[in-house]
Amino acid sequence: MNGIEQTLIGGVEGGTAILLPALGELIGERAGVVNLGTEGCMLGGALAAFAAAAVTHSALLGVGAGFVVGAAFGGLHGWMTVRRNADQLASGLVVWFLALGLTSVFGTSYISRVVNPLPVLKLPGLGSIPWVGPILFDHDILVYAGYVLVAVIWLVFYRTRVGLVLRATGERPEVVAAAGGHPQLVQLGAVAIGAGLAGVGGAQLSVGYVGNWFNDMTSGYGFVAVAVVLFAAWHPVRVLGGAYLFGVALAAASVLQAHGVAVNQYLLDALPYLITLIALVAFARRGSSEAPEGLARALAQSG
Amino acid sequence: MTNDAMDTATESASSITLPEHLAAPTVPPVHSEPAPIPAAIAAAKDPIDWQRIGLVTAAYLGSLIAFGIVVAIKGANPFSVYHTMVKSTVLNGGSLQQTVLRAIPIALAALAVTIPARAGLVNVGGEGQLIMGAVAATGIGVAIGGHVAGPVSWVAMAGAGAIAGAIWAGVSGILRTALNANEAVTTLLLNFIANDVMLYLIYQPWKDPHGSGQPQSRPLAHAAVLPRLFHSQLNIGLIAAAVVAVGTWYALQRTGWGFALRVVGGNREAARRAGLRVNRLLLSSMLAGGALAGLGGALNLAGVETQLRPDVTVTFGYVAFLASYLGRHDPLKVVGAALLFSAIALSGNGLQLTNGLDGAIVDVLLGLIVLAPLVMAKKRGRAT
Repeated sequence: MNGIEQTLIGGVEGGTAILLPALGELIGERAGVVNLGTEGCMLGGALAAFAAAAVTHSALLGVGAGFVVGAAFGGLHGWMTVRRNADQLASGLVVWFLALGLTSVFGTSYISRVVNPLPVLKLPGLGSIPWVGPILFDHDILVYAGYVLVAVIWLVFYRTRVGLVLRATGERPEVVAAAGGHPQLVQLGAVAIGAGLAGVGGAQLSVGYVGNWFNDMTSGYGFVAVAVVLFAAWHPVRVLGGAYLFGVALAAASVLQAHGVAVNQYLLDALPYLITLIALVAFARRGSSEAPEGLARALAQSG
Repeated sequence: MTNDAMDTATESASSITLPEHLAAPTVPPVHSEPAPIPAAIAAAKDPIDWQRIGLVTAAYLGSLIAFGIVVAIKGANPFSVYHTMVKSTVLNGGSLQQTVLRAIPIALAALAVTIPARAGLVNVGGEGQLIMGAVAATGIGVAIGGHVAGPVSWVAMAGAGAIAGAIWAGVSGILRTALNANEAVTTLLLNFIANDVMLYLIYQPWKDPHGSGQPQSRPLAHAAVLPRLFHSQLNIGLIAAAVVAVGTWYALQRTGWGFALRVVGGNREAARRAGLRVNRLLLSSMLAGGALAGLGGALNLAGVETQLRPDVTVTFGYVAFLASYLGRHDPLKVVGAALLFSAIALSGNGLQLTNGLDGAIVDVLLGLIVLAPLVMAKKRGRAT
């Protein structure tokens, strides 16, 4: 197994912990709500998943618990921003701090405990393809869930009425309301489901490929997820690419160093952010920003 | 719908008539008397709303009670916890000094949010601007500290920090004014780039060879560390920060620049038609804000930390964003909020020692305190 292959395998595993929350953030932002608390929802989900897995001895039940707790934090954010018209950025940061505090307090008894992590399922046939198999088809179930979700979200966004209403809500909620829809309900649902996915992303860390719990274990993945959605200009397939790009960058340095290539991990880490920044500027310059209009309004009226 | 439309109409009407005397570009109105406030900012036109005051008070009490419940679930006595928190942050002279000292970077980074907010810009980049300020101060301080007189290195570090912070925020300012890239997003991204730059420096080129493997820069020479005030734990950085904070208040409330920022923040189009150079004002607000945050990072490094470590800012930049929000972007209230958050952050140590609670529990209180005004936020009309 060579270095490139190792990097790509790590990129897919770690990238999934970015992809799931990024897809969740994509759903919320398409409905017009940005959630800077994604990091907090991930943390909550990571601890809930680990605790549930420790109690029930089932990592899969843990994933479910991760979704529920992530969605609960998201529900708080949704209630504040949608129902109470609170500042979206401040509300997101509040959710992050709440989760940061609550998980370190209620997580202390789980530090240095061990759970059975999600099993690695090598897909029959696909997993045996040379080179591609180990990289894409020899992982835990959440990695495959990521692939499927990208397709499902694309279909829902662009081929169903639900997706149309969701995207319309993010652009012009008043039009949706005039057409007899319920934009607030759509936004609440989108934020909660999105945050649930962030919780599952946390589970991918705690009961997936890291396999234990420690304070602040998501260490910025949730913020990376927010950046990935920007990088992807709100398109699900580009979110997939962006998440794996960040994942590969995070995995590359340690592998490269192990192979005697002197590269600084942190400069490599900064690269995807820089690319995102350049991509954003390029979109803004072209004047063809795909940012949902409601989102742009929400960001502008912050304060 | 009709109400919104009327609000917007009255707003633009008043904002268009207001800055008439500003229109002549040759005479900058430095001494505009108590500035008439654009409708978007004037929240005080209503009579005192006792019901609302009651609700807001109840919301804050609810936050305190909710935190008490969390503490009780962890088996600690809420009253004893609150007692410890107050005692370990304000009631004892030494701890009060620590609270004030820790509030310096938070307050300056919070004012870095406040200034652009006046012009309607969102600076989420306090964290990155603090970091770059600390990085620049370290670079200068380690290079010249000990070779030049103390005061020279203090001024050089503070200046370098302010410039670095201004550059970091200025990037977002230019991207905003020249290329129309959303500043909330670019400032956020630049936080992570700043953090990676700092980590790169302290893990490789700036790594202390005598640091027993710890990732940290070489410490400042003794002469370069900011001197203490009257044998207290406070240092001259506090004086600098206080002067800058008062200066910020003055600039925002009492100068033509501050007034023009508010006009731009109230109605950008009206400001443009009135002859204000909107882009220049927007950029200046980002530069000024970034300089304050960078100075905060530099003062914290030169006065308290004395060497660059990975957790040198410990999320203060984000706490500062919330402080500016809690203080409703009013400089004096913002500084008050920064002091409160500094005390909350510091009280974690006391809880760990006295009540056996994980110190990070205070993050919950911090979140709950901001939750109250967020939940009570008034419905705002959309002035676009």
